[in-house]
Amino acid sequence: MNLFTDELYERFKKNLESVNGTCVRASKATLGKAIADVFTEAGIPDVCVAETPLLKEAGVADALKDAGIQTYTDHIRLHAETAKGGVSENQYGIADLGTMVQGRDDIDERTVATMSEYYVGVVKGSTILAEYDDMFDVLAGLPQMPGFIGFITGPSRTADIECVSTVGVHGPIRLTAVVVDDE
Amino acid sequence: MSNEALKQEIRAALDNSTLARTLGTFCKNYPAKREKAYEGVDFEATRDKIKEVKNYAADHVDEMIEQFKTNCEARGGHVFVAKSTEEAMEYIRNLVKEKEVKSIVKSKSMASEELHFNKVLTEDGVLVQETDLGEFIIALEGNTPVHMVMPALHLNKEEVADLFTEYTKEKNEPIISEEVKTARRVMRERFTHADMGVSGANVAVAETGTVFTMTNEGNGRMVGTLPKMHLYIFGIEKFVKSISDARWIFKALPRNGTAQRITSYISMYTGACDVVTDKENDTKEKKDFYAVILDDPGRRQILGEPDFRQIFDCIRCGACLDVCPAFSLVGGHVYGSKVYTGGIGTLLSHFLVSAERSSEIQNICLQCGRCKEVCGGGLQIPEMIMKLREKDAQDHPNAIKKFALDAVTDRKLFHSMMRIAAVAQAPFTKGMPMIRHLPMFLSGLTEGRSFPNIAQVPFRDLFPTIRQNVENPKGKIAIFTGCLLDFVYTDLARDVVLDLNSIGYLVDMPMDQACCGCPASNMGDTENAAKEAVINIEAMHAEDYDYVVSACPSCTHQLRQYPSFFEEGSEMRKRAEVLASKAFDFCKLFYDLGGCKDEGDGKDVKVTYHDSCHLCRSMKVTQEQRELLKHTKGIELVEMEEHDNCCGFGGSYSVLYPEISAPILENKIKHIKEVDPDVVVMDCPGCMLQIKGGLDARGIDDIKVKHTAEILAEKRGLK
Repeated sequence: MNLFTDELYERFKKNLESVNGTCVRASKATLGKAIADVFTEAGIPDVCVAETPLLKEAGVADALKDAGIQTYTDHIRLHAETAKGGVSENQYGIADLGTMVQGRDDIDERTVATMSEYYVGVVKGSTILAEYDDMFDVLAGLPQMPGFIGFITGPSRTADIECVSTVGVHGPIRLTAVVVDDE
Repeated sequence: MSNEALKQEIRAALDNSTLARTLGTFCKNYPAKREKAYEGVDFEATRDKIKEVKNYAADHVDEMIEQFKTNCEARGGHVFVAKSTEEAMEYIRNLVKEKEVKSIVKSKSMASEELHFNKVLTEDGVLVQETDLGEFIIALEGNTPVHMVMPALHLNKEEVADLFTEYTKEKNEPIISEEVKTARRVMRERFTHADMGVSGANVAVAETGTVFTMTNEGNGRMVGTLPKMHLYIFGIEKFVKSISDARWIFKALPRNGTAQRITSYISMYTGACDVVTDKENDTKEKKDFYAVILDDPGRRQILGEPDFRQIFDCIRCGACLDVCPAFSLVGGHVYGSKVYTGGIGTLLSHFLVSAERSSEIQNICLQCGRCKEVCGGGLQIPEMIMKLREKDAQDHPNAIKKFALDAVTDRKLFHSMMRIAAVAQAPFTKGMPMIRHLPMFLSGLTEGRSFPNIAQVPFRDLFPTIRQNVENPKGKIAIFTGCLLDFVYTDLARDVVLDLNSIGYLVDMPMDQACCGCPASNMGDTENAAKEAVINIEAMHAEDYDYVVSACPSCTHQLRQYPSFFEEGSEMRKRAEVLASKAFDFCKLFYDLGGCKDEGDGKDVKVTYHDSCHLCRSMKVTQEQRELLKHTKGIELVEMEEHDNCCGFGGSYSVLYPEISAPILENKIKHIKEVDPDVVVMDCPGCMLQIKGGLDARGIDDIKVKHTAEILAEKRGLK
């Protein structure tokens, strides 16, 4: 487990913001509300949640429902076609780039992070590494590569028309990282 | 394809105002953005590592293929190694039939273009959808990519709106953010209904059987997440050994390609991962994962040729396009290949697409060397293009070019021609020092530029009349004048002698010297280049001198290339090495010999400096001449924008491609005017000819063009 400092958080946040993402910090107790606030503020009416022990324990789905948001925790692939929001947990972060890393092959997690208009990624503070090279050192040291690894850095973007950088093409149009302080 | 057809395409590209504006702006902003993206990252060290890991993979390519196959299959993937592009396409066609694939979504795959993937499967009745926004747009237009990374640069938002309106049958407004939304909406359904996704790999890792794809738009992730089948197509040049090795490529690729520190997505697939096969029942299974590896004769040919093997180090970042003065004007369509464009595209097209097309487009290269500076794989692109030129000149000799080069090589013949020209030019100079119009086929020479007239008395005849007052000389230097100093800029040649005299060196001019051979080398005529090398090695007799000075960086560069023309160990090689080791460009030699002194007449003169390509990039001389200028009393040196951009001369280039050369010159003149100097100084007579000609043709006579040697002699009162 890494030492997660305020400085590392600020670095992660600053770099994510530089690529049009946003970042909030929460504890396990406030995680559900933090996510619900993000979607409520953005006016997102329905959300797919790819649950993990952390998200379940923090009561994320219930917090969303309490906020009046239509929430799906199964048949994700079906509901992701229409639901505007998506939530999943990521296995790593890279502070120097504002990157979240999906470090395992879970199709529901991949689906929500790819198909939603507004993606909220949850990442534990202790899993945020300082540099890109640290991330590759971790991957190179794994006994076996997972079937899928995905680096996600901000919302999707393009400059294909007149070289004008525009956010939101096929992937999410908006992206927020919620960094959870480990207990 | 004929040269005339190519020229027509160049004109069409130059006439496309969207392309000019967008590409021009992009290329102008690219260097600074790229530099910013590299903050905190050592580019040179990164590309050294890239070369190292890619070299290893190329040296062990059979092992890489075998390992990848074993490891990918162990994780549930299917791997097919295709020995030709036809075999690859046949395998894919059968697979598509067998699995009853009706619709396909593709994220960018240049290798699939080599197979004519879309055309073949569309003819088989399969719906093939390009999902990258730029690729989607050009598919609607029925065109091919204009840039490797930004394929639809040639269209403006209005044109895109029209294409979208026609496609969706609904009115689309020319607002970029709205157009992006339309693409999202239209494509979403394609993604969710597709039977198969197709991806290209940026990297394939042998040790783990992993493929990497980097995207910004998220289409790559859609393609790999939604369909039940996933097909990767890539060539054997994409291998690296380990996951750790792959890191180096993704450090350089986004920074070089789009000046980003990282793209929105990097995805790594190892074998068959999970996918939802029945969304109603939420059924999850392993997807059908296929990898088709192109191990075709073209790729093997690259590996087999020592001069071109480094092409395997290319990471397809496109940086070589973004800094190319010719590409920034004409874009990729001129490069003709439907797949690869620009400098690296010329090389890849030769081996992988069409050698015929490549033989024409390699001429577009100015040999300015900028691509080499930024290349993510450290490829010697200009040198390889030159090798292609040589191959082409041998395979398809051009009688007129050959005659011209033969004439230059025949010293006596060339010198008499120049003497005749000095007289015959009279009707065109109209008593002026510059020729503004030349007749008929020579008119290209004076397009947007005047031509200097040929000196009435060549320097070789003037040289004996120069009085060299040097007491206790420190040494003896031989001057290599090259054609321009001997026959055009004779005053400059004299100033070089006077400057060197002033710091205690005697100068000698060996009279049997001839053209350095650079024009012949530039046109791929190695035979004449080697002949000229022999003439000059014998004539200069470098063994008798302390140094050999040239005031033309192209000549200096050529003299230094001589050893490579001769077999190792041969007598001529040894002599060539002596000459090469003693050959210096004027400003470098003058500075090193202690010429940098606080001297000068103190009269104020505002100066800006133009870096010539061979001096700043081939010989890495950028500071010495500036120090010399700054220490000269009275000179105020003000840098212009893009001071190291090519002026468009490129030796015979400005004659062969005045259409491209002229706008490059236009840009240079613009930057000079912005500084509004009294004098623009440079170290290359070719650049002088080009820039002086450009200023004269525009009627700008208050900005003088001078060589460093000239302004030093003038300010120090040596004349």
